[in-house]
Amino acid sequence: MSVTIARPAAVTARRVGHPRLRHGFAQGLTYLGLALALVFFLGPFFWILTTSLKGNEDFFAYPPVWIPSDPSLKHYIGLFTRSSGLRYFTNSLVISSVSMLAALVVSLPTAYSIARWRFGGGLLSTVLLVLRMLPAIALIIPIYIMYKAFGLTNSYFGLVMLYTVVYIPFAVWLLVGFLREFPVEIEEAAMIDGCSRLRALVTVVMPIIAPGMAVVALFAFIATWNEFLFAIVLTGIETKTMMVLVTSFTTGGTDQFYGEATASVVLGVLPAFAVAFMLQRYLVKGLALGGTKG
Amino acid sequence: MRLSAFAPSRKQWEPVAFASPSLFLIGVVILFPLAYAFYLSLLNFDLSVGPDAEFVGARNYAEALFRDGRFLGSVWNTAVIIAPSLVVELLLGLGIALLLNRKIRGRPIVTALIAIPAMVSPVMAAMAWRMLFGVKFGAINNLGRQLGLLDVYFDWFANPFISIVAVVLVEVWHNTPFMMLVLLAGLQSIPQELYEAARVDGATPWQGFWTITLPLLKFTMAVGVMIRMIDLTKLFGLIFILTYGGPGGATETVAFNTYLVGFKDFRMSYASALSYLIVGGVLILTLIFMWIQRYREARPA
Repeated sequence: MSVTIARPAAVTARRVGHPRLRHGFAQGLTYLGLALALVFFLGPFFWILTTSLKGNEDFFAYPPVWIPSDPSLKHYIGLFTRSSGLRYFTNSLVISSVSMLAALVVSLPTAYSIARWRFGGGLLSTVLLVLRMLPAIALIIPIYIMYKAFGLTNSYFGLVMLYTVVYIPFAVWLLVGFLREFPVEIEEAAMIDGCSRLRALVTVVMPIIAPGMAVVALFAFIATWNEFLFAIVLTGIETKTMMVLVTSFTTGGTDQFYGEATASVVLGVLPAFAVAFMLQRYLVKGLALGGTKG
Repeated sequence: MRLSAFAPSRKQWEPVAFASPSLFLIGVVILFPLAYAFYLSLLNFDLSVGPDAEFVGARNYAEALFRDGRFLGSVWNTAVIIAPSLVVELLLGLGIALLLNRKIRGRPIVTALIAIPAMVSPVMAAMAWRMLFGVKFGAINNLGRQLGLLDVYFDWFANPFISIVAVVLVEVWHNTPFMMLVLLAGLQSIPQELYEAARVDGATPWQGFWTITLPLLKFTMAVGVMIRMIDLTKLFGLIFILTYGGPGGATETVAFNTYLVGFKDFRMSYASALSYLIVGGVLILTLIFMWIQRYREARPA
């Protein structure tokens, strides 16, 4: 919790010289600095978006054309048809959604067990945190050999199972925090009325911590959406995700397929834009625990 | 009050039953493969040779640490990318956080907008920048020529040093927002009364920054740097798209090198040994970092 105390204007203005002028100057510099930061951090998105709408005559022109003269969606159509982009976009959506739901369903009871009964003590919590820090490269080699042996490469099931499980430590960690804030008395009242523990969890606890579960779900979604290493090793021609599709535009230079390459980046970063606004309050916590990296 | 959770009606099997599905899955999909990878790392299993393998003990580890110039080079490359990235991310993140901590209009929306790059996948960030760096039609060269800063088509990925600079630039763009968010949270937890007391005592804002903000923000900065450092040892997707390790392996990181050994050369045992060395390295780095923190905190100022 952060405590912010409003600063009385009189105190701020008490400076030597011309307080008003000096204050205005400082504010002006602040806005200038933030404007520069916005240009740096958002400029690339702007160029990618406009380029995805440009025709050849704009893209190959010099002096450069920054705003497309005749914007069209033809590169998106090309991406969806010629490069099977629609299929891979759908793959990403389905794989991310299913993994997100599965991770929630499996993690909630575990988080409940840790929050209510201190299951596993501090050891389990530590192990979960260490697992979050584990580099994916350490896991992919044995997983690849095992998946090959069981015929799980190039399968939706194999990929979804891996994403679900890899995400459990993070989901449990966040959910434990949300559950600890939840007063135990409410569910106990329900249990005295004859509710079983599991039913109390589903009918009493879940509706109340739904916002917390939504946060975990959105982070799980975007982490799976963004994941690359498992995807590039384990997917085949049918099961590719958007992240793997993008790699097909790097061979032989990007100039030829600039339109489809930029269109796929636009589609690939859409969830990030949505989630950044929806999860503002939780960004620090989620990012710190590796919420967006698979 | 919390004791009521241990009411007599509690069933002994319940905590275990609730936790077991995810523990079982973690065991099967994470812990068992990790143990299997360790076993693999002691063999000479090579898919390009055949399915037969024999036990070679620690030979893979010895080869990596004493004879494999490519692996040792990748350790060096990773360090060369990590160090400047961390410094720039910390300074730039601190600067922006300080600006956002002032009384300004539209703070939530500006914060969310600046935070967006951190939510984007490394692959997408790298693809966007790869096109921005495009030799003939990229925005950077176009802008440079329009402003008269460049007069030829400049290839950003032809020279090892400039390639590393470009990788660091993209990494800074990608993850400074994270550092900024962490530091902003830290700044907002510093009580304003401290600044007011300092002002009453006649301190300038500059003095306030050095004597109040920085000392109180030290812990937050350390945490942010440590998280970024651990993440940077995993640098893979960004390299894969932006440089594919080139030119001449100058931007080949440990994670990318391990990927190539495993899935281009198919030397599974050796790649497992490399991945264990990475895990060990990260662990040691983390411990050193925590130890330094504790030592500096224990020492009287």
